[in-house]
Amino acid sequence: MSIHFLIALNRQGKLRISKWYTSVPDKQKKQTMLKVHRLISSRDHQKQSNFVNFENQKLVYRRYNGLFFVMAVDVQDNELSYLEMVHLMVEVLDSYFNNVCELDIIFNFYKVYQVLDEMFLSGEFQETSKQVVLDRLHYLDNLE
Amino acid sequence: MSLKSFIKSVRNSKTIAAERAAIRKESAKIRTAFRDVHLDNASRRTNISKLLYLYILGEPTYFGQVECLKLLASPKFVDKRLGYLATMLLLDENQEVLTLLTNSLDNDMKSSNQYIAGLALVTLGNVASPELARDLYANVDALLGSPHGYLRKKAAIVAAKLVNKDPDLSEIFLPRVAPLLNEKSHGVVLGALTLMRAIYNNDESSRETLKIQIPRLLAHLRILIATGHSPEYDVRGVPDPFLFVSLLSTLRLFLANDENNTNLEPLNDLLTQVCSRIDSAKGTGYSVLYETVQTIFTINSDSSLKVLGINILSKFLTQKDNNTRYVALNTLLNVINYEPLAVQRHRTTIVGCLQDGDVSIRRRALELTFAIMNQQNVRVLTKELLAFLQNSDDELKEYITTQLCIACNKYRPDVRWHFETLISLLKLAGNHFSREIVSNVLALIMQNTDLELTKFLVEELISSSQTHHNQFALALVTTWCVGEYADIVLGDKVTADSLVTLIETFLNISTFEQADAIQIKTYALTAILKLSARASSPQCIERLRKLLVSFQSDYNLEIQTRAIEYAEIFGQPASIRKALLERMPAPPVKLHEGIPLVNRGTSKPTKSASSQPATTGDLLLDLLGDDETQKEHEAAPAPAKPQESTLDLLSDIFGSSASQKQPQQPPQETVIPAFADEHLSFEIIVKEIGSGRASLEGRVRNLGNSVVSNISVLCAVTKQQKLQLSPIGSNTLAPGATSSLGIRVTGQPGAKVKVRVKLEYNAGSQVSRQFDSALPMTM
Repeated sequence: MSIHFLIALNRQGKLRISKWYTSVPDKQKKQTMLKVHRLISSRDHQKQSNFVNFENQKLVYRRYNGLFFVMAVDVQDNELSYLEMVHLMVEVLDSYFNNVCELDIIFNFYKVYQVLDEMFLSGEFQETSKQVVLDRLHYLDNLE
Repeated sequence: MSLKSFIKSVRNSKTIAAERAAIRKESAKIRTAFRDVHLDNASRRTNISKLLYLYILGEPTYFGQVECLKLLASPKFVDKRLGYLATMLLLDENQEVLTLLTNSLDNDMKSSNQYIAGLALVTLGNVASPELARDLYANVDALLGSPHGYLRKKAAIVAAKLVNKDPDLSEIFLPRVAPLLNEKSHGVVLGALTLMRAIYNNDESSRETLKIQIPRLLAHLRILIATGHSPEYDVRGVPDPFLFVSLLSTLRLFLANDENNTNLEPLNDLLTQVCSRIDSAKGTGYSVLYETVQTIFTINSDSSLKVLGINILSKFLTQKDNNTRYVALNTLLNVINYEPLAVQRHRTTIVGCLQDGDVSIRRRALELTFAIMNQQNVRVLTKELLAFLQNSDDELKEYITTQLCIACNKYRPDVRWHFETLISLLKLAGNHFSREIVSNVLALIMQNTDLELTKFLVEELISSSQTHHNQFALALVTTWCVGEYADIVLGDKVTADSLVTLIETFLNISTFEQADAIQIKTYALTAILKLSARASSPQCIERLRKLLVSFQSDYNLEIQTRAIEYAEIFGQPASIRKALLERMPAPPVKLHEGIPLVNRGTSKPTKSASSQPATTGDLLLDLLGDDETQKEHEAAPAPAKPQESTLDLLSDIFGSSASQKQPQQPPQETVIPAFADEHLSFEIIVKEIGSGRASLEGRVRNLGNSVVSNISVLCAVTKQQKLQLSPIGSNTLAPGATSSLGIRVTGQPGAKVKVRVKLEYNAGSQVSRQFDSALPMTM
């Protein structure tokens, strides 16, 4: 039970966020991103599920407007639960940025990472309460 | 320039070249800034934030690694926050500069400021190497006892990470588990569960100690079930589904192979309660129910609970949401062996999913349909599958024909129904039959002793061929039957002339692939010869003779040779021909094991113990036999006798001339194993070699347990030689199946033959292999 990597990319395949919880060489990361984009953007989002097998892992993803949020997890993991987590993450981002849009993520990418670090740790769920995460983030921002 | 203006300049670039230029310019500026020994931390922050943007763009960032470490060494929180953030993104456990990080992490984890300690903890959790784990575990251990829940939950997950890096640390953290589990904060409990699983997986000796905590896990589960609404953790009506899932999966891990554990009974109760408590009308509940069902089937649970689990899955199947249906089908495939009857009850729902819009759902529904097939439902399911076949994706067709033929062999209610099904299959998907299955079908026809039924079958085949003549397997089977059973169908409805016309039609179809067309020709040759002994009218015999003669100039050497040999037999008096061309003895039908369509990663028990495991190499791969088949025929006990008698007859006529005595036997072959990996093997078979020519066959065999697709073979020889390559017979191989391609090399007589082969295939992912193989003999 753990996330291998978590990425956000738009429909054109431009990477907005990439966070790796396993150690992978940069070159391989790039190739993986390309493959993930090719795989996901070719899927029918009306008719197909939000899960797809990818190499020895499984991608759990969801599209929000033009942006895909993708988690790579183990094949035997509970995909429904990870999908809920993707949604919770986007909800937290939405509250944190006050109606998040792709531009917020582009210009404040480092803040997105700070959000992720309050929700996940080394690929595990760290905090599942939206309010706890948001309170903590606001507190940390005031410390700066 | 600020980070914001850098991002803008990249985004506003009109062309890729302009974008590259903007990136390169800024990258150079960042490097220059980093070379400044007097760089203040405010500028360092700006530059590192730009560096992170470069990282997201996929640009090199190695030159900034040390700067990140400098920034996080600053005493200010704002510096530390960005410094640690950048370190986590730009460094991983394999970087050498990591050793420079140890001191900062050590100091910061001891910081009295919980947020600074938190930053250091999270960073350790992300980049820990085995060395860092050993150097800093004491800090993590101390933080597990911190008064701040914020640090304890982080420390628990980091401890789990360190245990994964160095299993010896298990005993350090084991005593910390119990106090963490006493807490109420979901974050801390989640961390404790993560730590427990890590220790359980890394240290067997700790397992019994961990299991002592099971009642605590059950208590947490009980609280969750009893919780009505919890504003803090509520996710659309379900109180913390993530904690639910984590608790259940931990319990499952601990109790999977522990059938007599005293905690199983209370757990069974709780699982029943979860099922009734969680309102499945809401999406969030599904993740919990799904985890519950998986737990039910992993631990030793009551049969009634298992039936309940299957009912939940079947309820999933009726949902509109694709995701829910997808996981339900996946799980049903895994659990069908436990409660086959309960799954049977939901047959209609499963079959309904065959019409789903999502191809991955269709695939799983298809596999499940075959899995639930039995004597009782074979008729109705076959009907559904034939309907499905009409509109199905091409890639699924071979799977369906193979599986359905295997299932019919196993479950057929009667032979006539079986034959009717086969004809429908051949008509609908005759171009999607594997060679093995075609052989199976032929063997089945030959085994049938009820001649009336055979007559019905052959007549049906002939009339189907009129309308569906471009279905390869149908053409092949019909050609064979026309030769073999002409005598029983010839009459008012079917004339010998019409049969000759039918064979001619098959031979003129241009849509078959080359290898297929050659196979049709070889079958047609035999059919022509056999027909000559059954037909009576001289005109018809003359037509057959002309057809046979036309093959004597075929560009394929084997067909040419065979045509000339057959012409010899054709010239013999009718009485001898009749005796020679009698019906073939029936070979045994080989039982094939069903193949899985979806690779699910987890191994599952074999579907049926009664069916024999599939052996590689089919008895009937080519009915007209190369020597391999011949040998196997002789080896098989049942048909050995009649086979011998045919051979005797042949030798009587042709005397002692070796090549004529066994016309179907090509010269001795040499097999050279050229390559093998976990998926495929490649052999080169030398069929003929000498006088500046080599005729080779490349044979690809699937060694793995899953279907390999997109097989392509490219070959090259030295510059002095010429190469002719025929396409591979089938580019998708089921486990154990083989496919061949012809390789012809011409060149200087006496030269050595070396072949370089590039083999590409897809077994889950695209793979490319290259290897050389030299023949032990010269041309």
